[in-house]
Amino acid sequence: MLSFNPPIKEEKNYNDLKIVEIEPTIKINLRSNKREFSTKIGKILSILPPNEANTSSGNESYSLLWLSPDEWLIYSNNVNNTLDNQIELENNLFKEISKLNQGAVTNVSDHWVMINLKGSKIFDLLSKSCPFNFKDFKKKKGSVVQTVLNHVDVIMHNKDQNELNLFVRRSFSEDLWLWINDSARFL
Amino acid sequence: MSRNLRINKNNFIDQTTRISFKFNGQKLFGYKGDTLASALLANNIHLVGRSFKYHRPRGIMTCGSEEPNGIVQIGNDPSLTDPNVRATEIELYEGLDASSQNCWPSVNFDIGGINNFLSPLLPAGFYYKTFMWPASFWEKYEYFIRHSAGLGKAPTKSDPDIYDHQYSHCDVLVVGGGISGIISAKLSAEKGLDTILIDDKSFLGGSTIYQENECYKINSVNSNKWLSNEIESLKNYPNLLIKNRTSLAAFHGYNYLLARENLTDHLSINERKGKIRQRLWKIRAKKVIIASGSIERPLIFSNNDRPGIILSSSIKKYIDYYGVKTGENISLFTNNDSAYETAISLNKSGVKVNVIVDIRKNSESKIVKEVLDLGLKVLWESTVIETQGYKRIKSFEVMKLSDDGNNVVGNKSKYNADCLGISGGWTPMVHLFTQSGGKLKFRNDDNVFIPDQDKTPSNQISVGSCNGEFKLDEIVTKTIENLKSFLDLSKTCYDEMKINCPDEKSKRNIWLLPSDKPIGKTKPFLDFQNDSTAKDVKLALREGFKSIEHVKRYTTTGMGTDQGKLSNMHALGIIADTTGTNMGKLGTTTFRPPYTPLTFGAIVGRNVGEFFDHTRKTAIHNWHVKNNAEFENVGQWKRPWYFPKNGENMYQAVQRESKAARDSAGILDASTLGKIDIQGTDASEFLNRVYTNAWSKLEIGKCRYGLMLNEDGMVYDDGVTTRLGENHYIMTTTTGGAANVLSKLEDYLQTEWPELDVYLTTVTDQYSTISICGPNSKNIIAKIVPSLDLSDSNFPHMSFKNTKISNVNCRLMRISFTGEHSYEINIQSNYAEDLWIKCMEAGKEFNLTPYGTETMHLLRAEKGFIITGQDTDGTLTPSDLQMDWIIGKKKFDFIGKRSLYRSDTIREDRKQLVGLLTDDPKEVLEEGAQLVENINTKPVEMLGHVTSSYFSPNLNKSIALAVVKSGKKLKGKKLIVPMENKNINVTITDTVFYDKENKRLNA
Repeated sequence: MLSFNPPIKEEKNYNDLKIVEIEPTIKINLRSNKREFSTKIGKILSILPPNEANTSSGNESYSLLWLSPDEWLIYSNNVNNTLDNQIELENNLFKEISKLNQGAVTNVSDHWVMINLKGSKIFDLLSKSCPFNFKDFKKKKGSVVQTVLNHVDVIMHNKDQNELNLFVRRSFSEDLWLWINDSARFL
Repeated sequence: MSRNLRINKNNFIDQTTRISFKFNGQKLFGYKGDTLASALLANNIHLVGRSFKYHRPRGIMTCGSEEPNGIVQIGNDPSLTDPNVRATEIELYEGLDASSQNCWPSVNFDIGGINNFLSPLLPAGFYYKTFMWPASFWEKYEYFIRHSAGLGKAPTKSDPDIYDHQYSHCDVLVVGGGISGIISAKLSAEKGLDTILIDDKSFLGGSTIYQENECYKINSVNSNKWLSNEIESLKNYPNLLIKNRTSLAAFHGYNYLLARENLTDHLSINERKGKIRQRLWKIRAKKVIIASGSIERPLIFSNNDRPGIILSSSIKKYIDYYGVKTGENISLFTNNDSAYETAISLNKSGVKVNVIVDIRKNSESKIVKEVLDLGLKVLWESTVIETQGYKRIKSFEVMKLSDDGNNVVGNKSKYNADCLGISGGWTPMVHLFTQSGGKLKFRNDDNVFIPDQDKTPSNQISVGSCNGEFKLDEIVTKTIENLKSFLDLSKTCYDEMKINCPDEKSKRNIWLLPSDKPIGKTKPFLDFQNDSTAKDVKLALREGFKSIEHVKRYTTTGMGTDQGKLSNMHALGIIADTTGTNMGKLGTTTFRPPYTPLTFGAIVGRNVGEFFDHTRKTAIHNWHVKNNAEFENVGQWKRPWYFPKNGENMYQAVQRESKAARDSAGILDASTLGKIDIQGTDASEFLNRVYTNAWSKLEIGKCRYGLMLNEDGMVYDDGVTTRLGENHYIMTTTTGGAANVLSKLEDYLQTEWPELDVYLTTVTDQYSTISICGPNSKNIIAKIVPSLDLSDSNFPHMSFKNTKISNVNCRLMRISFTGEHSYEINIQSNYAEDLWIKCMEAGKEFNLTPYGTETMHLLRAEKGFIITGQDTDGTLTPSDLQMDWIIGKKKFDFIGKRSLYRSDTIREDRKQLVGLLTDDPKEVLEEGAQLVENINTKPVEMLGHVTSSYFSPNLNKSIALAVVKSGKKLKGKKLIVPMENKNINVTITDTVFYDKENKRLNA
């Protein structure tokens, strides 16, 4: 068995701020501009891909984030997924979407690292290096933004009040983790 | 001898908390709330520094950011000292250690003071006129000029303080916490708008907050008390953020502003530890209200720069706010009513004003009458013509002005004084307005530049005295009136205001006051920091300079750290008077950010040290670190460069690694290569258009190398693309080009080829790539994936297999960048490190050797494989690279095709890729070295340069690749590589040095 080795192996707590990498998490990128695509996703995941920009849809198992008019990101809400679950979902989607020429299904589970941030200070932290205006974002549960944090491309998903999931490319994740921890100590 | 000039009454500083500090080594005391300037003045210290050019003694002149003279060096450790800090802005803290600048050995006895006596020899433009001849002496001149240039001493160590940045968004940003700023902030917050109010001081209220004068009333209450209540009421607005000690540095277009917040500069050294010193706020505001106020002008007369000559409004602030007398024998010199308010404040505090010199004929205003009623002596229609005293003013001389104000008449009278307050009227602070793109207009009545309402950028407004409103009733009523329309308010809490204030009824302005001596015999200073005088400006005009921008640079007026806040208006006025031009037509110099100096620390924030630049790490990075890899920066990636063993240097390590890869097996972390997942029914057609070669017939399970061109036909990127399924490919790109390639391809799909059914998804970080090469690579892979048939028939070169290693799906490609029998394993990144370790274990018996980028470069150079970006530079076509075979001649089109047939790209004398062998096989060429044919011709014709060069242990000789004009035809030709100490003889060869028959690929 090959052992699973995520990049961030610690949980950190600061003044009303908790940060932790949530792994293993299934993440699948979807691309399509076909009419039948939404229906197919709805049948497989029991969620319809959101059409409104910078929003998300979801159920107990999965969140589905809008990334562009023809691109979405699925991630699992359940951290107890096994590699087999991941392969099964990927295969299922690939068979129904890619194979039938309804779009593109790509496994990006290890491409993105998901960092969960909780606490009332998260937006103070993010605003130290993110030019995005969080005023409306933080009020609206489920909102999504693709922006930069400390000059690194990230996706943010507003999970709940004072809780968000932040997606960063694996290769940048340790660098960003260091920055988050450095900035968090001044909150 | 220092004396205590503190009066024991005021509400603004904490006279119960005593603070000790040092100035020029002398231990002194002040109170909490003092600035360094107020504490020095309380200790009767006026002489603070020396001027830049003439080293004249200079004292504190103002109480704010416009201070030109009171700039000091903070800290006694030369490695960490902070230069050019304005004494008027730095708050006193326990342990503050300040010293004078621009003087040696001391501010009291400065050798450089000799310049003052040589000043007739040092007029404006002295440098330009003097150091032009003889031309050969310039380097000697430069040495001395550079040593005498600059103000203060830069620290020699890196800044130990912590700085950070903060983005902020608001509906309304109010800049300035004076009365108009407070009104603005309250109205904005009351409307429910998210509002930020910033002010550079530690307190709000501007000058009104200490204006305790019965002449100024709002709703029958003294204006300072009314304002104090308003400030208190701001606490009731949760949507209002107040930032004190925050100075606006820059106002960019579309309401993007930068502000610096001082967080710890006012704390004692011990209290600062571990805290952020300054924060740079990056603010996006829907609307901006500028309430930056105005500053008092000095008056220009001979020797107006002596320590003890202070702006009249600053004397008032020192007495009313800090409780500090600036002298014990004070006189005032003015052209307006403001100085009379100072006289009343001084009188109230028990400081007698000796005499008030006023250039006006008289004034009937209420405030002047109050002064006259106090029995103070006023000399009307008179001017100060000269001052005496070297390190502190001792006396001044006064004469009557002629009716036209151009001359003085009558007898001189002399007055003793240890402080002379001067007031030349007020200048609106329009810097921020103009930074944002606003245009100014000139108001002739009181000679001020004010914001032109018709040329104001949208969503901003200037209110209060920065908008040219100077009277209290005008400030309040016009601010409210303007805000009603700006914030769309129908009613406000300020609608029924009753304001009483004195009316200034008499105005007179003379930019350069006359003297009884010719101007050549006087020293009327304009720019106190740079020692530029009215004489210099007039000289510049005589020498033909007309534009204010040229005069500024020739005379250095306004080029100090104060950016001419006190000098610019007078320079303009004197130019206008001298040339007979209207000031409005002259315009102003350009106001550039920052408004006040910013520390480098605030600019860079936390982007220092380990946060200076990003580092991307592969999933196997930790293994490389543990195994002593030296790293190379490739793009933002940290790639293992080589793995030294037993004290090897890079050369030795690379020789060992490359030999091992050829003799047995080598392993490389190739995870950094860009990877793009391509899906869609038109994926093959898409690749046909993107690459120069044909893709439609590539079988599923096969790989192909492709060259990507720019529209100009030049090589842009390259890599191997694998067909995973009927409509599914994975493309690899160069490490550094990955992001640009993806953007370019997505751009083409969205804008040029929207008809194609193709989707791109980056998977660079999803898959890590482990490359194993060498004669034993197959044996190692067989141990890792025992179930897979690795025979050439089942798994030939340039093919791939889906497989499973343990529990994880992998893509195994048989491709080679070394010319050896090679495999690349693509595996999900979170399993890559463990797989790498398993490969190392499996390869132990075969001496599997990890190698880095340097060995990779050597191995591929032996085979003549190019590296895009090293052997190419955006000016080479495939044909230039001798890769004509990769151009699909029958293809309808691909990016860059048309350009390949332009007359320039088919020229035969273009630079073309060739191999090079040195006559001495041990001689390794330097990459970048030039190639010439004849060293004796002048100028020497450069034929090309070396792009890659190594010593090959496998060939036991030096090899190189180069680009050479007409290189394809020059095989066998002898050329020369001229180096600093020798010429190296080389021969042009084929680009492939090793295994030309490709036998090893299938070995």
